[in-house]
Amino acid sequence: MAMRARQRIRAPRRGLPASKGDDFETNWTDLSTSLKKIHTKDASNLSFEQLYRNSYNIVLMQRGEDLYERIKKLEKEWLDDEVKSKVTAAISSSLLLAKELAEVQDQANERREAGERFLAAMREAFEDHQLCMGMITDVLMYMDRVMSTDHRKPSIYAAAMALFRDHVVRALIRPDAQTKVVDVLESTVLFMIQLERSGQIIDRPLIRHCIYMLEGLYETITEEESSKLYLTIFEPAFLEASRKFYQSEGRRLLETGDAATFCKVAMDRLAEETERCTYTLASSTEPKVKDVLDKELIENNIKEVVDLEGTGVRQMLDNDRLDNLRSVYVLSARVDPKKTPLTAAVQKRIVEMGKEINAGAVAMAQTSAASSAPKKASADKTEGAKKPTEKEKPVNQQTAAAIKWVDDILGLKNKFDRIWENAFQSDHVMQSAITTSFSEFINSESRSSEYLSLFFDENLKKGIKGKTETEVDSLLDNGITLLRYVKDKDMFEAYYKKHLSRRLLMKRSVSMDAERQMISKMKMEVGNQFTQRLEAMFKDMTISEDLTASYKDHVKKTGDPDTRRIDLDINVLTSTMWPMEIMSSATRDDVQLACIYPKEVESVKQSFEQYYLGKHSGRKLSWQPTMGTADIRLEFPRSNGKIQRHELNVSTYAMVILLLFNDVSTGESLTYTEIKERTRIPDHDLIRNLQSLAVAPKTRVLRKDPMSRDVNPTDKFYFNNDFQSQFLKVRIGVVSGSANKVENQDQRKETEKKMNEERGGSIEAAIVRIMKQRKSLTHSNLMTEVLTQLSARFVPDVNMIKKRIESLIDREYLERIEEDPPTYGYVA
Amino acid sequence: MASTDQEQQQPFVTLVSGDGFEFVLPRSTACISKTLAMMFDPSSKFSEALSGRCVLENISGVVLEKVCEYLCYNEKNKTQINVPDMDIPPELCLELLMAADYLDV
Repeated sequence: MAMRARQRIRAPRRGLPASKGDDFETNWTDLSTSLKKIHTKDASNLSFEQLYRNSYNIVLMQRGEDLYERIKKLEKEWLDDEVKSKVTAAISSSLLLAKELAEVQDQANERREAGERFLAAMREAFEDHQLCMGMITDVLMYMDRVMSTDHRKPSIYAAAMALFRDHVVRALIRPDAQTKVVDVLESTVLFMIQLERSGQIIDRPLIRHCIYMLEGLYETITEEESSKLYLTIFEPAFLEASRKFYQSEGRRLLETGDAATFCKVAMDRLAEETERCTYTLASSTEPKVKDVLDKELIENNIKEVVDLEGTGVRQMLDNDRLDNLRSVYVLSARVDPKKTPLTAAVQKRIVEMGKEINAGAVAMAQTSAASSAPKKASADKTEGAKKPTEKEKPVNQQTAAAIKWVDDILGLKNKFDRIWENAFQSDHVMQSAITTSFSEFINSESRSSEYLSLFFDENLKKGIKGKTETEVDSLLDNGITLLRYVKDKDMFEAYYKKHLSRRLLMKRSVSMDAERQMISKMKMEVGNQFTQRLEAMFKDMTISEDLTASYKDHVKKTGDPDTRRIDLDINVLTSTMWPMEIMSSATRDDVQLACIYPKEVESVKQSFEQYYLGKHSGRKLSWQPTMGTADIRLEFPRSNGKIQRHELNVSTYAMVILLLFNDVSTGESLTYTEIKERTRIPDHDLIRNLQSLAVAPKTRVLRKDPMSRDVNPTDKFYFNNDFQSQFLKVRIGVVSGSANKVENQDQRKETEKKMNEERGGSIEAAIVRIMKQRKSLTHSNLMTEVLTQLSARFVPDVNMIKKRIESLIDREYLERIEEDPPTYGYVA
Repeated sequence: MASTDQEQQQPFVTLVSGDGFEFVLPRSTACISKTLAMMFDPSSKFSEALSGRCVLENISGVVLEKVCEYLCYNEKNKTQINVPDMDIPPELCLELLMAADYLDV
């Protein structure tokens, strides 16, 4: 730097090649001939440096603008004269004609060839132009540098491209025609795509190149991304053509009427369009054309497809066509995140199938009503402890129907779970749809809670025999899943309690572990409150065991010498926890006289009462003879002098009746009324017990006169000395003991009535709870709060809530504070 | 004349000054100049690209020598920072500026 000031700066030797290129014209002629050579691909002996220097000189002479204009003119002439004519020459008449005409097959081929020729020409022209302009731009770089920066002109390349656009692409194909080259290009490409869509193979790279050309040309000289000719001209046309195509495609597919085909074709089309956009057109078009496809082909048709008679979703569900369902799902998911038609169809089908199951259960129950009577008789079967090939106890058909109902639903549930997992990609919307449908039809069957409880009962009684722990577990889980759908959980609780109490008292339960497991599962599913009472029942059972043991100890200690004493197993039950009303069934008249026990039994009973009340003062024991069983040993003197011994396991009542006959000498009889008087067993129970003792064919310990099914007050009963049984131990069940059977109409009404009372209580409790907290609340808010509080247990009836509110107002728990909107206040 | 394929493999190019001096440079070094880069671009079909030899008529040998020196200097130091200034004789600087403009360095 310091040196510069001192030393002389040598002036640049300007105009070294002064001999040529001094003036503009010589330089230009030089340049223009060379440029023409470039166009004719004759550049190999041109010197880049020379050309560059020429343009450099011209620009240095301040004639850059002239050069720019001249080059533009040169290019324009070249394009007009040479290129355009080449391109237009490639447009054959068939290409033009077919554009207007509907394609006829024989013309299609011809047109295709012509199209390919035209596209090839187009491509060649563009590529040449691109190449030449690349070279020219390189040569004129110096000019570009100066011009585009100093004069804000587009680069010569862009200018030349614009020229190409105007003078070739947009040129009229013939001086007198209206059509432009670009229109022909567009229609040709569309035609090619049309061909490909109809399954023919086309020259993809060729089209790709033409698309490149359109992408390389811009509407404006500034070359913005959005003004590509491709986007402004071709893409809309392509999308429009696609729309039309898919509209007709959709119609055509619908007419063929096969949903599976539709889905397959649609999936294929999607893949095809993706491929087309990647390999033939521009990938930026892909989302757009897919939108079109979604809209035209799928969205407009999916509903019909789903509902197609015979092949729609319904059929797919029925036949487990997982792959087809998957396609339908994928297609629906494309157009609608909610997949409305599909969900609707699936829901409809589930509900339909559910209704079928419901109807099946009802039908089964009805046929059983007719045939139940003979079945009942055979239902009591002898239990052979030593016989290994134990025949499944033929259950009452109604019960079977109930169990079948549950099994069917579980099957259905499994099926849809599988479909959901495999075909619906575990979609949440679908899951909730399936869940709603299940609960819809399950709750549409008014006996669902009862059936479900029966299912558990059946399984816990014998279903799980010989099954592994995991099997039991999954079985119970299945049941619990259904429980989730049941809305009236309190109903279920009532039934379950009833069935459970029978299992526990009659010792019918196969495995206490399974029972406990079941309770804990329910606890997890429905909550603590729900299982409280059930747990209390278990507790009672264990306490009772202890009690029995300690009572026996006590008896031993007091040293009762009587060896003929009766063994007593006691179950002391807390009356609030157990469904007492069911045990003392059908005793509506309140003045129920206690049954008169035979003296042997009575003494034991009193001794226990004494013992128990001695331990726990202030409690009252009430005996439930309907629930008990007794083992008695009977001796049957045979006619051949032998004495046959049998051990009978009978109900408490039956025991009482049989003991009566101890005092009756052989051959004498007791009438029904006599028995009734001596025992004070209620009519209902007495009839049933007598039936099981005298009518049931295998367990005819008593003889009845006259022999008929019904028991009349005047009937006489004899002790049957000829009682035969191949077993030493005989179990005599009580006829229609309603142990685990579907309730009859009356019982049902009874249960419902009780249920309603209980619900009323719960509703009132809920209302008071809420109001105590809120002090005042509008009617509608109160309603919703009550509904949410109670929905875990059951779905309360709105009218019932209203009535309860009224009654609470009457009883002055609540008051009306305002009329509009109706508001209640809590009265402390 | 070498074919394009061989051209691509050819690692050196020759620059000839207006008064006949020849400078042989690695291709990558020469291509620091955008003009030279375009000139030797194998895809362009000009004779320079084919032969790998370029006559720069309006640059004298002295200046071209300095240009080549600069190109090498640039190539050598392009990954470094804090490089020492290149020594430029003041009498050449105007001509060098013109050459730089011409070659787009």
